[in-house]
Amino acid sequence: MEVAGLYKSFGELEVLKDISLTVAEGEVVVVIGPSGSGKSTLLRCINFLEKSNAGDVTIDGRLIERKEKTINRMRQEVGMVFQHFNLFPHMTVLGNVIEGPIQVRKMKKQEAVLLSEELLEKVGLLDKKDEYPAMLSGGQKQRVAIARALAMKPKVMLFDEPTSALDPELVGEVLGVMKELAREGMTMVVVTHEMGFAREVADRVIFMDDAKIVEEGPPEEVFNSPQNERTQAFLSQIY
Amino acid sequence: MVYDFSVVVEKFPIFVPAAIETLKITAASILFGTVIGLLTSFCRLSKLKVFYLPSTLYITVIRGTPILLQLFIVYYGMVGLVRLDPYPSAVIAFGLHNGAYISEIFRGAIKSIDIGQMEAARSLGMTGFQAMRRIILPQAVKRAVPPLGNQFIIATKDSSLASTIAVRELLLKSQQLGSSTFRPMEYLIIAGIYYLIITTALGYLVHRLERRMAVSDRLG
Repeated sequence: MEVAGLYKSFGELEVLKDISLTVAEGEVVVVIGPSGSGKSTLLRCINFLEKSNAGDVTIDGRLIERKEKTINRMRQEVGMVFQHFNLFPHMTVLGNVIEGPIQVRKMKKQEAVLLSEELLEKVGLLDKKDEYPAMLSGGQKQRVAIARALAMKPKVMLFDEPTSALDPELVGEVLGVMKELAREGMTMVVVTHEMGFAREVADRVIFMDDAKIVEEGPPEEVFNSPQNERTQAFLSQIY
Repeated sequence: MVYDFSVVVEKFPIFVPAAIETLKITAASILFGTVIGLLTSFCRLSKLKVFYLPSTLYITVIRGTPILLQLFIVYYGMVGLVRLDPYPSAVIAFGLHNGAYISEIFRGAIKSIDIGQMEAARSLGMTGFQAMRRIILPQAVKRAVPPLGNQFIIATKDSSLASTIAVRELLLKSQQLGSSTFRPMEYLIIAGIYYLIITTALGYLVHRLERRMAVSDRLG
């Protein structure tokens, strides 16, 4: 997956200035940086939930044209997990997971249920399949949201601060599922404040500040010997 | 005693046909109004001016003028173009009237659904139409039920205005019998009781529906 020359502004405010980024198959890229640095917007521009003013996104060698149809097809390949889960409250856990395969992939219900049960098993929530999201804890909701995204069999997974809305004791279970995914070779771009996760799982860490990529490299380099002073300042505030 | 309330009991059953007429006007105008309302709410939410402007004009005009005037415009005012009977005139006027209010109810309900729902749906690759039908509308309709119920009760009461163009509904019936027997109060009370029964039943049905739809919100 490749992002080239992404530019985005909300009126006067520039949130992405000429961002370019290549993510190899199976790579786990973790994006860190202060709030307002454009991390989330970058993710949202990749699957066009936010329309960038300029720049190209290429996935699996295909340039994504800015046409409704192309974008819809691309989104099937790119899973997204949101900070606030955004589960569909009027559907059961299973209903949430089978929705994409049935409506978008036109999969038979039986087949979708099998696939979804497998995924719910994987995130450890098969026993909750008939419950409604309102009955789940934040960590459980987020794990369902991951299963829902995986049900589309995406090539890339985007995580937009997946643990930021969780109580501290629930963060671990979500990160656990994400680690498992990374181990299985899923291509992932993760925006997070979980530095431990970044250290342990990331192949590459990107530090963003002021709408730009300021520094990038393997986690041990970025964390242990950051070159840029803004990265240094940011990391020293965290530790 | 000025009033003879035994008349109320005695003559109560002869109002049944009039009550059915009231129910018919109300049901038809609610149905008509809901269809118009749903379509108009989509137009109002559209970014395209060809949809947005006419729908906004429609709502402004309907909400800014009296319902009785609207009824008269359809029944008397349109005579030059087309001659409508009282009953269809009432259904058209009340349907258009309710449509404007129902549209705003739907629009509010749709807008109240968290933007994250649309984003989650679209991120799965759903089209805007699929996301609206599968994800947004089912949640919005649930939120629209209480104010819709309220609007349906208003529509029931407003149907009494059809008496002014000679639709033989509850109020007209009570006025006619009241003046021919010199007992207006007794017959007005009969009509009032019928209205109360209809609106109370409607309120109860809406309440039941609300509770049934709340299944997914209930905690363990």
